[in-house]
Amino acid sequence: MASLTPQVTTQVATGTAPARGGRPRRPRVWRGVVLVLAAVYFLVPLIASFVFTVEVPNQGFSLDAYGQIFSAEGFGGSLLLSLGLGVATIVLVLLLTLPAAVAVRLGAPRLRPVLEVVCTLPLVVPPITFVAGISTVLRWGPDYLATTPLYQTMIAVQNPDFPVVLVLAYVVLALPFAYRSLDAGLGAIDVRTLSEAARNLGASWPHVLLRVIIPNMRSAMASASFLTLALVLGEFTIARLLSFETFPNWIYRISGSQAQVSVAVSVFSLLITWLLLLALSSAGARQRSGS
Amino acid sequence: MNGARVEFRGLRRRFGSTVALDGLDLTVEPGELIALLGPSGCGKTTALRCLAGFEQPDEGEVLVDGADITRVPANRRDAGMVFQSYSLFPNLNARDNVSFGMRVRKAPTAKRHARAQELLELVGLPSVGERYPHQLSGGQQQRVALARALALEPRVLLLDEPLSALDAKVRVTLREEIRRLQLSLGITTIFVTHDQEEALSMADRVAVLRDGRLEQVADPATLYDRPATPFVAEFVGAMNHLTGLVSGDRVTVLGQTLPVEGRAPDTAQVDVLVRPEAVLVTPVDASGAEGDGIVMVSSFRGSTARLRVHLGDGTEVLADVPGHDSARFAPGTAVRVGLVERPVLVSARSETGAATAVPEPDVV
Amino acid sequence: MPLLVFVVIVFGVPMLVLLGGTFTKEGAFSTANLTESLQGAYLTALLGSVKISALVAVLGGVLGTFLAQAVVTSRFRTLREAVLTASGVLANFGGVPLAFAWIATLGNSGVVTTTLGLGQHGWSLYNFWGLTLVYLYFSIPLQVLTVVPALDGLRPQWREAAQNNGASTWQFWRYVGIPVLTPALLGGVVLLFGGAFSAYATAQAMVGSTVPLVTLKIADALTGNVLIGHENVALALSLDMIVVAGLVMAVYLPLQRRSARWLR
Repeated sequence: MASLTPQVTTQVATGTAPARGGRPRRPRVWRGVVLVLAAVYFLVPLIASFVFTVEVPNQGFSLDAYGQIFSAEGFGGSLLLSLGLGVATIVLVLLLTLPAAVAVRLGAPRLRPVLEVVCTLPLVVPPITFVAGISTVLRWGPDYLATTPLYQTMIAVQNPDFPVVLVLAYVVLALPFAYRSLDAGLGAIDVRTLSEAARNLGASWPHVLLRVIIPNMRSAMASASFLTLALVLGEFTIARLLSFETFPNWIYRISGSQAQVSVAVSVFSLLITWLLLLALSSAGARQRSGS
Repeated sequence: MNGARVEFRGLRRRFGSTVALDGLDLTVEPGELIALLGPSGCGKTTALRCLAGFEQPDEGEVLVDGADITRVPANRRDAGMVFQSYSLFPNLNARDNVSFGMRVRKAPTAKRHARAQELLELVGLPSVGERYPHQLSGGQQQRVALARALALEPRVLLLDEPLSALDAKVRVTLREEIRRLQLSLGITTIFVTHDQEEALSMADRVAVLRDGRLEQVADPATLYDRPATPFVAEFVGAMNHLTGLVSGDRVTVLGQTLPVEGRAPDTAQVDVLVRPEAVLVTPVDASGAEGDGIVMVSSFRGSTARLRVHLGDGTEVLADVPGHDSARFAPGTAVRVGLVERPVLVSARSETGAATAVPEPDVV
Repeated sequence: MPLLVFVVIVFGVPMLVLLGGTFTKEGAFSTANLTESLQGAYLTALLGSVKISALVAVLGGVLGTFLAQAVVTSRFRTLREAVLTASGVLANFGGVPLAFAWIATLGNSGVVTTTLGLGQHGWSLYNFWGLTLVYLYFSIPLQVLTVVPALDGLRPQWREAAQNNGASTWQFWRYVGIPVLTPALLGGVVLLFGGAFSAYATAQAMVGSTVPLVTLKIADALTGNVLIGHENVALALSLDMIVVAGLVMAVYLPLQRRSARWLR
């Protein structure tokens, strides 16, 4: 075992050692092939969708499909509905998760596992089974609760102008993402030391939360909000099965009669979602380089 | 196990525009523990990695017992290496980590386990064989890594800052143990570190590197007492720079005239390099004459206390006094300052060199 | 905590009702719904979902890992950043717009279909394989996102330590590299399975009901497309799904924990 060296040396002397420039070449080819294939697979549908929307049979290039989006029946209503739902969901989800996340870090670390489980559940339960449960509750409501004030509530949450029930459902779906980004944000700023320092300087608890923690959490809250908004704007399953016409449902409905417009809207909504997410990731990068 | 002789000959290596090794020549004698010491970026790690086979030098060769191994692949070299940290395979327990090399060589399981146990006992961890790296402390991990490096009975042991990620206390115990083990095995060992205290306390000889070149290689006492260059003087131990005037082979500094160690430079005005322990300070009692300076800071270190003394002309001097005397040198005390009567090192004044005391480096 | 109260009401109540409904038939306790949900067309749909999810998970896992390795070993930082950002976006790209993008590309009158004349060769996007192709579009990026941190976590010291102990490249991968990556790779595959398993919007917009999938069956039953007296079968199917998804998570979480410990 002790002396491998001389043996190897002779091998080198006879010139069997690989030339230095020769080795890295093979992986480079392999890598190029993988990257090119990936680029084709991921770019072709995007390019093709765009081509599909701008090429009118027998007329050639035209951006009409994009112009028609705005005049199409139901566009404004459904988009506004989705945006409204998004804003309401963001407000509610932040109001619920931020105090919980702070409390778990400061006061009750023993509740952390509970919170983790609660925030993983919506990931385990597919949205369609969740909506199956909700719709059953809503269907049974009238039978069992007709005489109680709860019945009025049940009707109210299903108001088609602003279905609160969707907000409630979306908050549940958004919980895991919101909690994770807030918790990561709290982890990055060492809440305990910050709040102890503020308390030491005479700040009251509400003051600590409003003036110390929230300003330092701005990017984490922004990321939670963006993710929630993207989720709400793209959510189809629950809204469709509860028969509310949100934006994705509107796209789906018009696809039957106006294929080109529906693809145009898809491309359009994709762009918006991407811009949101890109803004989010670059904001995250800035935050990291800043600290 | 017998130690091998290791020679670096004219080693050059550049990464892009930075030169990591700029013609390094160094011979390590069989059974010797040599420390490669220098600031980060001086090329010490690159030299070690050229020997281990993880780097290819652009020029020059590495010889082990006279055989050129420069082009031998890393997995056929006969050198065990301990990395800075986190080098244990996380999916294997301590025993399997230690016996990894034997597994690669298809040694029978029973033999592997026996040998691994033997090595774990050697590094003082007889009962951690079943544990995984994440269940071991930092010091234990490095001991296991040492056992793994020794498992194949290499002729050279390479240590790449193996202690730098550990707590101060563990660092001291472990370095003593590495030295004891190295002496009993008689294995040629190259130890890379940026910690001068570590280098001076462990090594037979210390090689100081700067910008990819060897500045000086010598035993610790010589390095400390007779640094060959101002850089070495600066890097090893704390050093005062005082303004002096040379005439012939004597120099006048702080009102004293002392012999010059070695050859005096041609310029008249020079930097005189003086260790803090060669500076004599005595408190000026209330009745007495005026002092040369005032104690600004006193840091107690046990057997000694190090004073930062502000002199009348604006320079600062570091001086060591016995620890039990430190009460007499509280900050604000006026003191008289002198130098021990013995030859001093001088260097031509560097352009930037204001004659102030250096920012205090680590304790020596 | 208000959060817990909220979740118990909004999430807990529907789940309890679902559970209750599953075991109720004509007002009495019964396992008939559950039995029915595991028979005939329902069973086919459940198996169809499992089959496509498994296929997407394995294919997406392997292809995503290759892509991740290609990106991680690349020396171009911009390429890496671009691929990771794009993956973040594409992994969230699902639902109706995804379906329409593919219909516009490879559907019956899609741009690529007509350009290459695929129609005459019997090409159709609206079947099992077409759906697989589309699901991969968000699954591969998800795998990239899961695996890149693990590949980054493979410390160069491990490879060097292995070489130092005499191991060849292959031996390093066999004894250290692949075992260390396995939890992360499997964890990613499990996530992909879950994502494909619960996908509904894309399938609904693309294939309607030509491919049997459990989500489509549940939606059918919920929108009244079912025999009188069998409404609760939808709830039973949902319960089946939750059980499968729960199993998936039960596999995923320990793998994730182990991977985090190794690649710390």
